[in-house]
Amino acid sequence: MLNTDHTKPIYIQIAEWLETEILNGNLKVDEKVYSQYKLAEMFTINPATAAKGLNLLYEEDILYNKRGLGKFVTKDAKEIIVNKRKNQKLKNLIEELVLESERLEMRDGELMEMVQAVIMEKREEGK
Amino acid sequence: MNVIECKQLVKMQRNQKTLDHVNFSIKENTITGLIGRNGAGKTTLLKIIAGYWRKTAGDINVFGVNPFNSLFVSANTIFVDDQMSFSNSLSLLDLLEEAGRFYPNWDMSLAKRLFDYFGFLPNQIHENLSKGKKSTFNMIIGLAAHCPLTIFDEPTTGMDVSVRKDFYRALLKDYLEHPRTIIISSHHLEEVEDLLEDILLIKDGRVHLHLTVDGFKEYAVGLRGNSALIYQLVNEEDVLYTNRVGGEYVIVKNTFSHQQAKRLGLEISPVTPNDLCVYLTNTTKGGIDDVFKTS
Repeated sequence: MLNTDHTKPIYIQIAEWLETEILNGNLKVDEKVYSQYKLAEMFTINPATAAKGLNLLYEEDILYNKRGLGKFVTKDAKEIIVNKRKNQKLKNLIEELVLESERLEMRDGELMEMVQAVIMEKREEGK
Repeated sequence: MNVIECKQLVKMQRNQKTLDHVNFSIKENTITGLIGRNGAGKTTLLKIIAGYWRKTAGDINVFGVNPFNSLFVSANTIFVDDQMSFSNSLSLLDLLEEAGRFYPNWDMSLAKRLFDYFGFLPNQIHENLSKGKKSTFNMIIGLAAHCPLTIFDEPTTGMDVSVRKDFYRALLKDYLEHPRTIIISSHHLEEVEDLLEDILLIKDGRVHLHLTVDGFKEYAVGLRGNSALIYQLVNEEDVLYTNRVGGEYVIVKNTFSHQQAKRLGLEISPVTPNDLCVYLTNTTKGGIDDVFKTS
């Protein structure tokens, strides 16, 4: 389940795994998520690393704390995750596009025209 | 609370400084990986911590006292390596029972379950075990002792891949149930990194880095591209490794702007902790290739 190429920090992988569980509906609003110890046991990782992953989601308002009871899924969790993934992934792809167009010394507007053309093409196909 | 505190620790062996002013501390109930090349001083450091060897100078405190000649430290510490010696007049099962007399927290039930799982026979003699089986048996002693300070020096020597995997999982599960301070030295960082909270990297008898595992993963990145552009962006002293095969490729400390690197058309790639260790502990920036350079 975890990426084994050892390049992405494990706590981020844990956070992403939990996000996917929420998107899939395996973890519902106001449901308790796994404790750091349970996650450590499930993935054979250090519990401090698991705690870091949980905290990341807490800071992003995807999870909330109930004192002494653990962490639970917030009402807006799904929306936050969807928005975050859209922004991150799309933004990165667009950055790549812009960089490549600069390398190719494309004139202003040329890239936009290409994007527009692809959108039109897809629409034609959809008809 | 710190279980181990080292200040300016020096160990001389035959006029050679095997530990050269070592400073670090280890927090209670953490798992630390001790990483370093052959001869870097890992075993020397661990034996001084366990109270087996005497320091030459500086300070070493374990549970607040000098570990050498300390009964308190030896009762609360277990040091596991492939040279543990056991009496040949006792069977393996006898050894487990004797270990229970030594270690106040000894978990006989865990010891016996592991003993059966790994296929040991009660009447076997330690000396007659294969290398991998010896390591496996020593690991059982190390885990079941439940010592507040548990040290494994290259614990997986000779173990096959599946036993190694079982060992790491057993270690983690037992740690979750009985938190304690654990140090593992290993050449196989890729195998243990997920278990660790911190990494202590030593090089030439000195502490080179002491970071959390995540900090270690983010410590350096690979950069590929035009060499003039690379050196426009990063300081030469931050470069840990250089390779010129297929364009300039360097591994460099992660202290520059990634935005700017992308703008310059440089390709950024993550470095695995294992590779990073190799590059950090190399004595030259070109590695083995430098040996074959004839000019």
